[in-house]
Amino acid sequence: MLASILASGLAVGAIYALIGITYNTMFSTSRVMSFTAGQLGMLGGVLGSLFTLRLGLPWPLGLLLTLACGALVGIVTEFVAVRPVLKSLDQHLYVLSTLALALMIQQVTAITWSTEPQPFPRLLGGFGETVLDEKFWLPVAACLLVVLGLELLYRRTLLGHAFLAVAEDNFAARALGLPERRLRVMSYALAGGIGALAGYAGGELLLAFFANGPHLNFYGFIPVALGGLGNNRGALIGGLVLGLFQQTANFVVGGIFASVAVFTLFIVVLLAAPQGLLGSAQARRV
Amino acid sequence: MVTTNRRALVMNAAGLAGAVALGFPRPALAQGEPLRVGWLAAMTGPSSAPTVGFNRGVVFAAEAINGAGGVKGRKIEIVTRDSQGDPTKAVNAVQEMISQAKVHAIWGPTNSGEALATTPIMARAKMPNIHPCVIDSLIDPAKYPNAFRIAPSNTQWDDAVRSYCLKVLKVKRVAVIGDTTGYGVTAAKASAAAFKQDGAEVVYLGNIDSTQPDMTPDLLRARNAGAEVIVVWSVSTGMDARLFNTRARMGWDVPFVGHPSMASGEIGGLLEKPANWDKVYAVGYRSCSYDESGKLNARSEEFVARLKGKVALSDTLLWWVAAGYDAVTLIAKAVEETGSSAPDAIVKHWNGLTKYPGIFGDYTYTPKEHNGYPTEDVVMSAANSGRDGSFRLAPGYS
Repeated sequence: MLASILASGLAVGAIYALIGITYNTMFSTSRVMSFTAGQLGMLGGVLGSLFTLRLGLPWPLGLLLTLACGALVGIVTEFVAVRPVLKSLDQHLYVLSTLALALMIQQVTAITWSTEPQPFPRLLGGFGETVLDEKFWLPVAACLLVVLGLELLYRRTLLGHAFLAVAEDNFAARALGLPERRLRVMSYALAGGIGALAGYAGGELLLAFFANGPHLNFYGFIPVALGGLGNNRGALIGGLVLGLFQQTANFVVGGIFASVAVFTLFIVVLLAAPQGLLGSAQARRV
Repeated sequence: MVTTNRRALVMNAAGLAGAVALGFPRPALAQGEPLRVGWLAAMTGPSSAPTVGFNRGVVFAAEAINGAGGVKGRKIEIVTRDSQGDPTKAVNAVQEMISQAKVHAIWGPTNSGEALATTPIMARAKMPNIHPCVIDSLIDPAKYPNAFRIAPSNTQWDDAVRSYCLKVLKVKRVAVIGDTTGYGVTAAKASAAAFKQDGAEVVYLGNIDSTQPDMTPDLLRARNAGAEVIVVWSVSTGMDARLFNTRARMGWDVPFVGHPSMASGEIGGLLEKPANWDKVYAVGYRSCSYDESGKLNARSEEFVARLKGKVALSDTLLWWVAAGYDAVTLIAKAVEETGSSAPDAIVKHWNGLTKYPGIFGDYTYTPKEHNGYPTEDVVMSAANSGRDGSFRLAPGYS
């Protein structure tokens, strides 16, 4: 039982963490919580299945195409649902615009793909049909790779520094001559790729199913809130803790009560630390 | 130039009034008028698969009847409206069909969510309605005297599942699992209560979120509780497949019995091994189940032969096509027998049907019972035996 909780919990938690990082990456350059994050995860599974299983492409090529499509959806999100409402951030119109786009993505997928879950291909094979199967360790590996990659990008590259500068203060960044719009589009493309990778790596667990989007939207948001908005390390820890807690609750109390347990934990943590476990309280001039 | 004097006008008016008063036959308005059958179909959207199957039967029936001269010389006109599975769109479509298209009877909707919204509207308009939706409350001759069910109700499914578990599999300790949708919760609860009433021990009752990736926790609890059969009430094929895969990984050979979705062709692609689908028995129908020698009953064999080359069965279910065919035929027969397409004539005719031999089943309706499908014809099928829309009877039936 413990092995099952660990394997499933970490795998699902890693997927949630990746969706949390998708939220963060989009938020960092735009101050917008884009609710297309979960749909990007859904598309990762659907496109992965389309390219690899239905069209028969080798999986590395299928993965590349999936990431490219995810990036494209990220860019479209920026142009269609984010840019038009940036001037009135205080009215939170982005909630409507990104939710509307997310709904459109889901409906188009339902009509053009299928309304029933479709299989996702085996990629590498595993070490038997046990807790060491690839479907359990692939999401964890993908999550660790993304976190390490982002750390390298943000700390070691000029582009990463530019991202951080825009995230810190976009007016100052623009005054320094940084191409803020282009950087924002690039961050949405990056987020699109990360979201799609979450769905691709977790495809064997979640299947290629058009209705995975809202589920990932909800559960991917919790690590962001738990770990602190914009904090990828927080999202990683928050996601893994959430996955483990959820799977434990499934074993201990089951079904409907497991969801209640997860949201109870979420509310308790937010009451204790409103800025998230790893977030820092921000001073505000009054 | 045509002139009309007052005297002629008065004489003509008096003649017309006299003719009406004497009950002269009305002009043959209804004779040449097509018989308009409203078809409330979720042709697109998430729950379109059954409708696509029903539609094949509807079109086939209409073409067959029209090809043979129609109903007393009247052609059948199918007035299809796509509700997309959305109750709001279904309500609008029903109102349009009644007030604008002036249909004579309505077949559909095909899912309970829509039917909950449309049944009272059709009742108010006294529109003869026949549908295949399973929720029990949709049929109530006192509240909805015009609504008739062509397929089994939820209770009839439940009875068939329980009967198979207790009388054929002869198990005593039952686990009942539903998904977390309204349907899953209600159906699982009702099923567990009925098992207890029949003396079985419900050792586990649980609801699972159908998107939950790992079903091990629930199946472990059911196994530890000593379940001898797992009864599943869910429309989610993803959840079904995950349950079967988990059972195999646990090395457990407990049978699954329950909802027809467990026999959906989509499940084949979601299984880790084809053998994971063994010992799974889903609700099916005697008319659409083949025996050990691969034969359907004579009426269904003849129907399938008629469909050959005209209607594809490989990607749908035979019962959907058969029920669509029967619905149109029932409406046509009512008009043919009574010589009228008036709502009360159609309803009165249906209320008097006893074992009407349809393709899908023998329907019996009375003024007090509008669940017309015979419960004894609801059987269990081997879920992995799908072949051209029909299934092999589960072991234990003669």
